Amino acid sequence: MNDKKEWRTKYKNLIESPLEEQYGPKSKQELDEMKMPYEDFCKAVFAPGHEMGKPEALKGTRFMSTTMYIFTPHSCANLAELGAEVYKFEMPRMGDPMKHTSPFNEAYLYPLHDTRPMTGTGYGFTSANINEYYVSIDYHIEAMKEPFYRIVKMSDGLVECYRPGTFDRWKQSYRYLAEMNPRFIYVWGGGFGYGPKVFGGSYDILGQAHAGLASVTGMHEFMGGHCAKHSNWCIDWYSGTQITFGVLAAMHWRRKTGLGTMIEFSQVQAATRVLGHAAPLYGRFGIVRQRWGNWDTQLCVHGIILCGKSDYPDAINPQDKFEARYAMVSAFQDADFKALCEVIKKPDMYSKYIKHKDRVGAEAQVDIYATLEDWAKDKSRAEVVRILQNEGLLAEPVMNDREVYENPHYRTRGTLRWMDDPLFGDVLVQGTYSAGLMSKTPRRQVWIWRPVGADNVKFYHELLGYPISQVKEWYDKAWI
Amino acid sequence: MAQEKRNIEINSRADTLDLMHPDIRPWPVTPPPDPEWVMANVYAKRKAEEFGKWCEDNLRYEYSFGKPEALQGFKFLCIGQWRLANKFVSALLCEAGAEVINIEPPGGDPLRQLTPFGREEYMLESKITGEKCGLDFLHEMRGQKSVTLNLESEEGRAIYRTMAGQMDGIIDEMPPGYMDSLGLGYRHLSKLNKGLVYLNMAVRGTWGPYKDKMSKYGQWTLEPFGGCANSFVHNTGFPQDQLPRGKGGDPTRSGVWFADYVAGEQGANTLLAALYWRDQFSGEGQFCEVTGAETQMDILDFDIAWYGFNGSIKARTGGWDPNLNQYEWNPCRDGYMMIGGQTDRLWYRIGMCIERDFPQFGRLIHEDPILKEMGARNALAMLIKTYTVTTRWLRDINRIEAEQKLLQYEVAAGPVLFIDEVAEFPQFKYRPWVSTIDSDHYGTVMFSASPNSFQMRTPHRVKVLGRPLGFDTYEIMQKYCGVGQSRVNELKEKGVI
Amino acid sequence: MCDIIWCKKDVGGKPCDTVNYLDPYCFWNWKGNINCAECGAVYFIHMINGHMYKGPEDRPGEKPDTSPLYADKPLDGYKFITMGTEGRTRPFQCLPRHIYLGVPDMVKFSIRGKPLRGWRPQAPSAGIAGQFPFNWNIKKLAPEVWAEYQEKIAKGEVKDW
Repeated sequence: MNDKKEWRTKYKNLIESPLEEQYGPKSKQELDEMKMPYEDFCKAVFAPGHEMGKPEALKGTRFMSTTMYIFTPHSCANLAELGAEVYKFEMPRMGDPMKHTSPFNEAYLYPLHDTRPMTGTGYGFTSANINEYYVSIDYHIEAMKEPFYRIVKMSDGLVECYRPGTFDRWKQSYRYLAEMNPRFIYVWGGGFGYGPKVFGGSYDILGQAHAGLASVTGMHEFMGGHCAKHSNWCIDWYSGTQITFGVLAAMHWRRKTGLGTMIEFSQVQAATRVLGHAAPLYGRFGIVRQRWGNWDTQLCVHGIILCGKSDYPDAINPQDKFEARYAMVSAFQDADFKALCEVIKKPDMYSKYIKHKDRVGAEAQVDIYATLEDWAKDKSRAEVVRILQNEGLLAEPVMNDREVYENPHYRTRGTLRWMDDPLFGDVLVQGTYSAGLMSKTPRRQVWIWRPVGADNVKFYHELLGYPISQVKEWYDKAWI
Repeated sequence: MAQEKRNIEINSRADTLDLMHPDIRPWPVTPPPDPEWVMANVYAKRKAEEFGKWCEDNLRYEYSFGKPEALQGFKFLCIGQWRLANKFVSALLCEAGAEVINIEPPGGDPLRQLTPFGREEYMLESKITGEKCGLDFLHEMRGQKSVTLNLESEEGRAIYRTMAGQMDGIIDEMPPGYMDSLGLGYRHLSKLNKGLVYLNMAVRGTWGPYKDKMSKYGQWTLEPFGGCANSFVHNTGFPQDQLPRGKGGDPTRSGVWFADYVAGEQGANTLLAALYWRDQFSGEGQFCEVTGAETQMDILDFDIAWYGFNGSIKARTGGWDPNLNQYEWNPCRDGYMMIGGQTDRLWYRIGMCIERDFPQFGRLIHEDPILKEMGARNALAMLIKTYTVTTRWLRDINRIEAEQKLLQYEVAAGPVLFIDEVAEFPQFKYRPWVSTIDSDHYGTVMFSASPNSFQMRTPHRVKVLGRPLGFDTYEIMQKYCGVGQSRVNELKEKGVI
Repeated sequence: MCDIIWCKKDVGGKPCDTVNYLDPYCFWNWKGNINCAECGAVYFIHMINGHMYKGPEDRPGEKPDTSPLYADKPLDGYKFITMGTEGRTRPFQCLPRHIYLGVPDMVKFSIRGKPLRGWRPQAPSAGIAGQFPFNWNIKKLAPEVWAEYQEKIAKGEVKDW
């Protein structure tokens, strides 16, 4: 009885709604679903760890990933995580150059290929080519055109990243392939695209630098800083994801018309796209957006402060020992700022900057954050966060990789998990599931990557129908 | 262009602002190279005239407006405040041709009020309504329609339900469980509309032990809380070994709300994939959730996975990348210069280029046996050595000189550019990457174009930037809810709309 | 800065011939004394925007304010003195672990104690045309790691997280 009453109060709106009669729960199961607390409902419908019983969104889609590095590979990996069948094409014996990158040359998984027993695949390759089949092919060989054309006719699309005109010279650019397969969705991803710098090569870091992202990231000169690089290859990844968006939109259009498209995608441009107000501000007023360190140009207080002590002074790892000293503090609304000033015993700071407009000004920010850091200088990060949270304010630690790993949030949500990779064993998976939860067609990860040419037989023989003797011959000649 | 000379009296900063107005100083300041010049000096040099012509004929930005739109007919509701993630999803969908209706409370999304350093003079005023709008909101509010609705009222909820019944998708970036508590969550609306794809967005999540919090006083969790919760901030910035702690040698946030953008694009992908499955296979919608902290963790290279490998906790490395050599930017005479090239082929090209001006580079770098091996070059000690000697070269030259020298060797190299330089960089204005729109409300506005604009058949495009609050209310109420103007006016008085 | 100090001091009758690397960012604008990582000679330098405004000047008898991170001897087989060599180079603190390797870490188990193929060389196991299966026959290909794994299980060293 009590239960019911509580339920009625909680879902008052639902019950009193005139539409309730018409659209209400139709079965016991639906009724239960409605009664569940929101969190339980989310956990039940997303059911982390139970992805495999559900269908794949892109079932039946086949894509070719003739890509290298992170940017273009990631666009295909996104599709593969959503259920597309993706073939990754690599240079025989060598593989994607990204397989040869690893932080400080320290972390590799073996083997890369039987012929190179001392070479592994570096962790730099992680997450960019998930769930794909690995095929080797040397495009320079005339005889390899035929298998290439065969797979084009059997696929939905391709993403490539070679210098503009290279695939055209090899007679495998869109203008050739569209004649074989008008449904084909062809993506070129690279630095610049047609125009005066068309042949300029590109990397993530070039995008960060060239497109203006670096100019707004890092401490300002007066704080002693320089333009800082985003830690990861964020522009590679982020641009790759936008290619996926272009591909998915094109697939929707193709459902109606039966026609594919070609997308020419510049990652450097994609980096300019995230600059928000930088372009309109410059275009109208000639003001050039600058970097502003760990603070926010539009909100105050909303920034990261240095605390006096590390949370783990006795830890062995220097990242725990020295770096667990930073906290994100946010109190930009009037009431929050007032409470913050009271907590740090600086009520006069509140009277000085009563309105948000007063405290978000540049000089005010310098003053306010200095005051905050002064308050925090004899405290550890945990103390700072706890004191502020106890007052109902928003403050969180700046977490490192270990703390992320140990955070129960990601485990509960299944967005960080261990996987038994078929070839490489016990790997920690930070990707795929974290790209977005879906209740009916969830993303999934089945293997991290495979050695160079690991699926040659599956591809050339089982899919394209070449006899094994032919496959072996190509292999012995190092054409595949 | 004839230059007209004017005498201007400057008494305060305010007098200078309009001097850069596009009516007085139109963009671009210098014209981009023309296509004939590019043909003769760029494509022809590589014997790629035919391919170049094909690209320019089929992919040009200017032609995009004459082509069909990929997502024509798809309709979405977007309800969210403060953050850019939901705005970016909507922007992407609109660029691809979908219709997105942005629902705001009668007071408007507070994001409309944000402006750098609180300077109202940097906001744009609608010529029609006189209302001021912050530039971040304006820039991401592209193509969307604005409707006001008070969901705290029963009538507001009824209107919302009526609209939701006709949508393909809903983008919800309200606080955890808020829409659900109103009876407007996925489990309620999916009963009205079986095909509805419902996308939750959040900084860390709407559920789970570390979900988004709200302060005691009602303040929301905003970026960069996401980047702080996935190690991105911890891993970015200069180490205290390069700059003193507290003076640049600290963990550093992205200059923009980067996790919001990443969540936005994965949110858009999630919606499109779910709709593809609905249309192709099942007819059913579903419930999705995308967060900034997690989507950014998805793309955080190998950082967390590396901890699982041998307990490493990634450290920050400033302008250098710990995985590749060369792959960095370092200071040069007039700013910072980025150089990249990891494979042997590129590594030696960079070296030859530098050696031409600075012969000692060969002795110190090329001949060092450790630096001959690609993997071994990535060791920290080797980065220190290589970049010291490279910067010894860079200190004497400007960015443009360094770029020209390196491009002669076909090395990927580029200067760190600021937005004024970006806007005038020949390649960027040729395509163009930033462009201007002559708009009804806000006059001529510069914006970043969609990178998916360069397509054979269905290029994405931006036609409208920004929208005064509730500008489309009458149209949408009539079109989707059959609520006529008199009733809308009544509801406005009651504070429902 | 972004310069080097090629130390030519006489050490036991031979020139020191050590290149001390002054890493960018740290030394871009910097003023003070720095030691040679090999012979310990102290130099005063004043760098402005990467240029040696003053120095390197000998400062015998003075104490160094800092040390280079890395130094080597190109004329002596590129013998090097790496970061954190006590009294010679300065340590690099912002590192992912307390031990800096700079070479591949031979890992056989993940941090939770389950087998991970992070070591070399691996026994050859490809089939036709470089084909690999969808399983790792660890018992056959790496019996010693399998045995070690069994011990770990017995000792309770294998965890869920």
